[in-house]
Formats: sequence, structure tokens, C-alpha cells
Amino acid sequence: MDSKAKSSAGMTTYYVIYVGILAIAALQVVFAYQHTEGAAMLARMLVLAIIQAGLGVMFFMHLRDEKRGLLLALIPATVFVLMMMNVIWSDSFRLIHMRAFPK
Amino acid sequence: MSEVSSHAVQHQAPTGFIRKHVFSLDHKVIGKQYYALALVAVVTGMMLSWLMRIHLVWPNAPIPGLHFLSKAGAPGNVMTPEFYLSLMTMHGTLMVFFVLTNAPFAAFGNYFLPIQIGAEDMAFPRFNMMSFWTTFLAFVVLMAAFFVPDGPPIAGWTAYAPLSAVGGDAGPGEALGQTLWGVSIFIFCIASLLGALNFIATTLDLRAKGMTLMRMPICTWAWFITSCISLLAFAVLMPACLLLILDRVAGTSFFIPSNLVISDRLQPHSGGSPLLWQHLFWFFGHPEVYIAILPAMGIVSHILINSMRKPLLSAKVIIYCMMGIGFMSYMVWGHHMFVSGMNPFSSLAFSFPTLMITIPATLMTLIWLGSLYGSKLRITAASLFALGFLSMFVSGGVSGFFLAQPAIDIYLHATYFVVGHFHMVMGVAAIFGVFAGTYFWFPKMTGHMMSESLGKLHFWGTFIGTYCIFMPFHYLGLAGNVRRYSAFTDDFLVPLIPLHKFITYAALFTGAVQLIFLFNLVYSRFKGAPAPDNPWECTSLEWTMPSPPPFDNFGGKHPVVYHDPYQYGMTNAAGGDYIMQTSPEASPTGD
Amino acid sequence: MSEASVAVGGHAAGMMEASPFAIPSKKLVMWLFIISDAVTFGAMLFAYGYVRNASPDWPHPFQFSPSIVNVMLMTFILVTSSLTMLIAVNHAKTGNKSMAMRWTYITVALGLVFAALHIREWMGMIGQGVRPFQNPWGASLFGATFFSITGLHLLHVVGGVIALTVVAMRYGRGRYTGDDIEIWGLYWHFVDLVWMFVVPLVYLLNVAR
Repeated sequence: MDSKAKSSAGMTTYYVIYVGILAIAALQVVFAYQHTEGAAMLARMLVLAIIQAGLGVMFFMHLRDEKRGLLLALIPATVFVLMMMNVIWSDSFRLIHMRAFPK
Repeated sequence: MSEVSSHAVQHQAPTGFIRKHVFSLDHKVIGKQYYALALVAVVTGMMLSWLMRIHLVWPNAPIPGLHFLSKAGAPGNVMTPEFYLSLMTMHGTLMVFFVLTNAPFAAFGNYFLPIQIGAEDMAFPRFNMMSFWTTFLAFVVLMAAFFVPDGPPIAGWTAYAPLSAVGGDAGPGEALGQTLWGVSIFIFCIASLLGALNFIATTLDLRAKGMTLMRMPICTWAWFITSCISLLAFAVLMPACLLLILDRVAGTSFFIPSNLVISDRLQPHSGGSPLLWQHLFWFFGHPEVYIAILPAMGIVSHILINSMRKPLLSAKVIIYCMMGIGFMSYMVWGHHMFVSGMNPFSSLAFSFPTLMITIPATLMTLIWLGSLYGSKLRITAASLFALGFLSMFVSGGVSGFFLAQPAIDIYLHATYFVVGHFHMVMGVAAIFGVFAGTYFWFPKMTGHMMSESLGKLHFWGTFIGTYCIFMPFHYLGLAGNVRRYSAFTDDFLVPLIPLHKFITYAALFTGAVQLIFLFNLVYSRFKGAPAPDNPWECTSLEWTMPSPPPFDNFGGKHPVVYHDPYQYGMTNAAGGDYIMQTSPEASPTGD
Repeated sequence: MSEASVAVGGHAAGMMEASPFAIPSKKLVMWLFIISDAVTFGAMLFAYGYVRNASPDWPHPFQFSPSIVNVMLMTFILVTSSLTMLIAVNHAKTGNKSMAMRWTYITVALGLVFAALHIREWMGMIGQGVRPFQNPWGASLFGATFFSITGLHLLHVVGGVIALTVVAMRYGRGRYTGDDIEIWGLYWHFVDLVWMFVVPLVYLLNVAR
């Protein structure tokens, strides 16, 4: 039962991706010590993490080499479900304002 | 060639009792095990509902023997209000998780999904066995709550925080009982995850030659879509339960707000948000509604097509509607939270998709009804229950339009209106699907026919009985009758007690009618007339094999499929009005 | 290999419909598990974000040294272990069994180092007085989210270490094929991916200034 997916990416590609992911991780640390606050900081961190994850999924996990259908079946469903959870944020901020006895 | 040898191993039926009936790898045995577990759960849950109904209308009357269930909860056999809530919690949890999730999906799905696609077993038989026994473990842990000192939890099947999160201060059952509840549901999530993985892999990978995706019967589609929903829905309930357990045992406070005083004690842990629990729970909870109802929709479609002897107006649209419902089920969970103190703008954002999701549901109903028009329906117990499903789904679904809108929901939410709504559309409708499936597939599963006349009697008793129970719930709700009260002593509720008495009588009557079903089930299992291979003249693959099917389903051969399962209403070579999916003869419709 | 072997026999003989994604059932199940688990971690992180937003005094306790240095080291080790996993998979594909096993065991060893560093990090936090219900700096939920999220990830790492060891041993004895190495490699990469979200969200958003 050999997998049909052929590894089109040789070890060289892996090394490049490996260095790339580590570089992004280092960039995140640099960003962490810039004096950016709140949403801007979170956005940077998340964008970088998503790029890392994308590289990992496509190259390390070979999703790039599988049939396109697998990617289309898995990723949109996951992203959709996670996106839907974003509705909770407005309630999380409300809690601060509704606090009866602030410390 | 290790594969060939293991291939051969797969065909040997186990001989020992344990391997054959207990830790069996055979999907058919596992399906029956799920069915038996659901049966135990539904009988338990139903008896709890009788106790609750009796207490509601005769709050001070002793119920003989009740103190055996709980000494503290029923001093002198009279139920305390707290014990009423315990019973309600257990009723809801048993019914939603162990009946509505298990019976239509896991039980029938396990038994018939592999057969209907022409497979010998599930893709991962060991996984399959594990998922059943994990479910069983969850059931045992939940039932253990009856036997711990302070009894079962009182927080309801939704386990709303902070009541469920703070521990013993919150009342009887909130110490160990609620922890057991959390652990049980956590285990149940794992079991469902295993099951869902297995169902998806089986459907995609083990289809017989010619069984393209669009040739799968509608119920196979329903089980497949349901497993896709539960794959991602239970994945959210699992961390929610984990956080709840941590709140209870590790002193965290995810769901415990600041400055919370319960039982005159300032709670030591604080800073969290009860609303977070509701968000996480209902993020799972609404897809769960469709996990319960979609398999019933599939089973009913399958049986209706067979009984009408003609295809549905469009099977494709039914399948697309089920997909649409599955997709949208993740967008609407907030409609359970309109009165929770959630941001009112979120209410708006949830109301719109909630109304949207009625479109596929309505479309499906119209297709079923439109297909029924002009058909020569064969009236059997199975087809009656399928029709009963339609009736329940419409009656219960229409009130969903009301509840989808925050302005109306805020008035109705905490009343019996909602109780009536979800019991009809999710509870009874799904149960009717299970009954229909049971009458339809029992001959295949056991090799014996069920008694049709008892089945029809059971149908009419159940159908009329459930309407008598749940229709008045809507009127009660409109009259402002709040939920979760254990007795109605307020001025505005006292006039409603006669109606409640009527409901209690109806509930006891409907429960008694189920004895006919249980008798029919047991009697037919042993004394029923021997079932032919295809008693209903149905086209799908399970009816090509002997009743009951042999261990390896197709005798080691791979069936070949030539048609979709909707080949009814023509004249075939043998003079019948249908063509089997495996029959190579040409179909007039060309499918 | 008894599982899914029926499918293999049938597929090989052309007696069954082809799998739509043209991958073994085991691999499909692993992918499905991964997206399900991704949603589980997603829900944990959403819960964390929720209570963080709701707390006005969320602490920023992570000093550059030792915490952030330690985390950078952990990231380096985990990403490197993904790379060694890839080397193992490549060897498994070309049929070089001993090299595939050796690199899988190296991956396992790196996983163990990661777990050890993780526990060191935890001990450091506990030493500073962080508990699931309190900490010296502010919002009591800080410890709860920290321990639950990193703890769940640590459980996944430990699970992966055990699974990879078992798979490599069975692969050595011929019970498993190179496909199984690749499939459990997917899981290992997934654990790595989760860490890529845990680091910025749990650690880097809360660095001490």
C-alpha cells in the first residue's frame, strides 16, 4: 500500500523550509520586544504563525503533493469552523465593562 | 504478501463468546451493541421523565420506592426540588448523548453503512470496537452519579456554569456528581471522535465497484455527513469539558466569575466567564442537534422511497440540503444564548443564519411531501413512523421560526415552549426515525419479521401520545410557564396545572405504549416469522444478502453496483417494480 | 496491518471504487484526526483569548532569560525534530529501513529533550508561585491558561514520543510499513504546528518589558 503521493520536495527544499520556519520564529521574538500593543501585535504574531503553519502543512506534511481534493476537503472546513468561533470576542470585551466591583 | 494473509484472517468468524458478542470486531455486532446501549439509556431516561412528570403535578405525593434511588433526594419517597433537577439533568444527558447520538447514528450507521456501500466491515474494526466500549465507559461513569453520596448533578444537560463549575456549594450533586458528568462527556467525545474518523474513512475508501458517491443511499449520505459534523463538533466539547473538569478539580476559574457568592460563601476562585462555557458548549450543542436529526432524515428518506415505490422528486437536492445544514450548523449556535447576556449584536448575527438554515430543512420537507403526492404508499409500521417523523419535524420545526428571532425568543426562551420545540423536532422526530429504522431493518438484523399489527398499534399510540405531551407544552410556554420549576405554586401557574395533569397522563400512556414495542422487539427476535432476504423489495445492498447477514457480509466477494438505489416504479425482468443496485439489467431511467 | 487490509485487497484487484484522495485509509484518518485536534487546540486558544480579554490585569511575566530563551530553544528543538522526522520518512520511502528507524529514534530523542525543557519551564513557573488558581502578578487565570494549553501540548508531545517509538519498533519487525512512519510523521509535524501558535500567543504576547 504505497502512498501515491510522491515527494516532489527533496531534502534541499526541506532545509530551506526549516530555516524559513526558524527565521519566522526568530522574527516573532523580535516583534515581541517592539513596543507594539494589542491588536497590532496580535495580528503580526498570528500572520507569522499562519505562514509558519502553512509552510509546515504544505511542505513538511506533504499536503502540496497530495491530490488537491484533500486540501480542499480539510483546510476550508477547519478554517471555517475556527473562523466561526470569532463571534465570541465581543462578549469577552463586554465582561470588563460589566464588572460590578473593579479591583 | 502479508496483506493477502491478513485478508484471509479477516474472513474467519470468531468462535469464542467474548470475541463474538462482547469485544467483537464485527461492525454488525457493534451496531447491535450500540442499539442495546441506546435502549437501556432510553428506558432509563423515559422512567426519569415519568418521575419528573408525576412530581410536577403531585409535588407532595410519595412515589413508592423512590428512596432507593436517592435517600437524600427523596426523604419519605417525596422528591425534593433539587432531586427533580438531578433527574432532569440525567434525563437530558442520557437522551441527547446516549440515545439521540447513539441510536440513529452509531447503531444503525455501524450496522448498515458498511453493508450499504458494499464493504465487509468498517475501515478500522479495532477502532470501532474501541469507540463502542469507550461510549459504554462514558455511560457507566454517568450512571455512577446515581450512586455517589450526593447524587446526580442538577445543572441540566447543558451544565451551565457557574452552577456546574463551583462545586459542592452549588447544591446536591454538584460535588462529585457534576465531576462524573464532565468526565463522562469527555470520554463520550473521544468515543464519538473515534467513530466519526472510522465512518468517514469507511465511506470514502471501502465502496464497492460502481458505488460512486452519488449512488450511495440517502441514509449512507446522512451518516457520512453526520460523522463529518461530529468530527469537528465534539472537538470543541472536549476542551470545554476539560476546562470544566479543571475548574472543578484543579482550582482554575475559566467559568467562575469574580465576586460570586454561592450558599453565603464567596467563591475562592474567580475571574472567569460563565458565558464562555455557554459559547463553547453551544458551539458543539447546535451541531449536535443535527447529529441527532440528520441520520433520522436519511433513514426516513430511505424508507419513504421504498414505501412509495418511486424515487424522491430529487435525491440530489436532499443530499445537498443535508450538506448545507451540516455546514450551517456551525453558524447558528448563539440562538441558544439570546437570553444569556450575550452581545445583542451577536444575537442579530445568529438570528439571520438560524432563519437561513430553515431553508434547506423546508426544502427537504417539501421534497418528501411532494414525492408522497400521488404515490401508492405501502402502509407498514416503518412507513407510518417515517410519516410520523415528517409530522413531528414539521410541527416541531415551525416553532423554530419563532425561536430564531431574539425578540420572540426572549419571551419564550425560559418557558415550556422551547421544551416542546426541541422535544418534537429533535427528540421525538429522531426517535421516530429510529423506530422506523427498527421496523424496517429488524428482519435483516435478526432474521425474523416484527409483528406489523403490534407495530401499527405502537405507532398510533406513540404518535397520538407524543402530540398530547408536546403540543400543550407550546401553549404552556406561551402562557408563561417557566422551565425547570419542580412544582407550580405561583398564582399565574396554578391555573395551568390541569393541563400539566393531562400531559402527565399522556406521558404515562405513551410510556406504556412503548411496552408494546419492547414486547414486539423481544418476541419477534425469538418467535417472529422467518424473514426473507428482501421482505420490503428494497434496492439497496443490505437486501442482497441473507437475513441475518453472515459474518463477512458478502461472503468474501466484492459486490458490483450498477444503479443508484432509487430504481422503483418500473417493470423488471422478473416482473417486480424495482431493480436492485447490484442487478446488471438496464434501467429505463439510465441511472 | 489487519486493519484496512480488506480495502487493500479489494482496491488492488480493482473490485472497489478508488479512494477519492488516493491515500491509504490510515493516512486519511490521521489527517481527519489532525483537523479535529486542530479545532480542539483552537477552542483552547479561543478560550484563552476570551479570558485574557476579560481580565484587566493580565500579567506579562516572561523574562527574556530564562523563559524566552528556553522557549526559543524548545522551538528550535521541535522544528529540528520535524526535520529529522522528514529524513526518516525519506529513508523509509527509499526502503532504507535501518536509517529510517535511526532517524525516527533521533526524532523521539529530540521530543524527549523538548519535554524535559518543557518540564523545566513548568518547574520555573511553579517555583515563582504560579498555580492554576493564582500567581504573584495579576489575573488568576494566567496560570490556568498557561498550564492547560502548554499541558495539553505536552501531552501531545509525550503521546507522539510513545507512538513514534512503537511505530519504529514495529516497523523494524516488519509489522508496519514505511507508510506508517510517514503517517505518524504527519502527527509529529502537527504537534510542531500547534507549538508555532502556542509560542506567540501564550509566551510572546506576555513578555515582560
